[in-house]
Amino acid sequence: MATEHEYWLERGDIYALDALDGDELKEFQAHLGSNCAICAAYLRETRETLNLLHRALRPVTPRPEVKARVLDEIRNERVVSIATPQPKQATRWLRITGTIAAGIIGFVVAGTYYQYRYERRRLDSAVITLLRDPSTRDLPLYGAGPSPEARGRFLWNNSGEGHIFVANLPSVPEGKTYAVWTIARNSTPRYVGAIAIDANGQGTAHIKSTPSGSPPETFAVSLEDEGTTATPAGPIVLISKQS
Amino acid sequence: MVTEPMADPISVIHRIATQNRDAFSQFYDRYSPIVYSLALRMLKAQSDAEDLLQEVFLQVWRQATAYSVERGSPEAWLINIARSRAIDKLRSMRRREKSFVLTDDPAAAESPDNVETSAGESETRLIMNSALANLPEAQRRVLELAYFDGLSQTEIAARLAEPLGTVKTRMRAGILRLRGMLGTQAA
Repeated sequence: MATEHEYWLERGDIYALDALDGDELKEFQAHLGSNCAICAAYLRETRETLNLLHRALRPVTPRPEVKARVLDEIRNERVVSIATPQPKQATRWLRITGTIAAGIIGFVVAGTYYQYRYERRRLDSAVITLLRDPSTRDLPLYGAGPSPEARGRFLWNNSGEGHIFVANLPSVPEGKTYAVWTIARNSTPRYVGAIAIDANGQGTAHIKSTPSGSPPETFAVSLEDEGTTATPAGPIVLISKQS
Repeated sequence: MVTEPMADPISVIHRIATQNRDAFSQFYDRYSPIVYSLALRMLKAQSDAEDLLQEVFLQVWRQATAYSVERGSPEAWLINIARSRAIDKLRSMRRREKSFVLTDDPAAAESPDNVETSAGESETRLIMNSALANLPEAQRRVLELAYFDGLSQTEIAARLAEPLGTVKTRMRAGILRLRGMLGTQAA
């Protein structure tokens, strides 16, 4: 096995360390994409070994506040998904639909429509709640980089909730997305969501993120590859501080 | 403080996948110290490490259904998530040439009372440190630069002013040696 595959396994070791780069990385990823079972198994074993390296470090207990923030976040997610109080009519309709939609295809179309209305009402309510909170900041966003004409507005509350409105943004190229970031002093940007735009370059998105240790000072939208959530790599198209 | 034993971690992840918050809390208590120590080692700044810790466990909550044993042990899966996110952040920081307050050994700055450990964990740490110590210095250096500092092979070659081929050879030799010393242990 090793003889036939030595070329790939050499790269597999370095790939398992996340240290492979350049053309070799592309080449190896393409090879993995061909569903090579040998390399996949070898890679898994190597990673199991390498992932023991962290055990050389002494475990450090994080501050309890971090756990509290995480638990708050997952609690909120659950509340939003199943327990947000809604107008009686929408709730009843959704309950009925939930019971019978499984067997009736026609209801799916109607369900989509009512879900849309339900979601709109929920978002409208969330924005109003944000606006009522005196601690919510209302920040203008200015066009930057390739989109100097773009404009936007960001409602932000340090609870981690916000709402963004954008206009005059160019259409999104295939495989790209507009990603929304908050940036606290001396910290790396935090991904808080994505925003879709319509044919007129307008869009809106509600943000629910984990409260950060330090309140963000800058807010930005960048054009990223789809799926990018760790760090921004593309151009900033909107930013809260005029450069 | 001694870490309390946890039920089978795989069954705990399956319970998390059903949105069981108690299981999640148990999982967090068990694994957050090792994720946090790795985050501190890699990112250096406490606020960044805490943010990373949050992101990693939220990903666990949201993607527990995606876990399968084919992805490795729960600990390996978790460490993969944490390293991957930390490397993305480190590479972004380097691109932006941001400077951070560096601490050589963040764990060393913690008071002993703030460190959870068990006899088993202490023993594992000794074994790992011993394995690393038994690597030739040049091999250990390239592995640490890749694993803990998130540098690519090209960046390591530049950092050490060594030919790329030399760096690759050392990495591979180091990994093979580690595999030989540690085998593939279930975490």
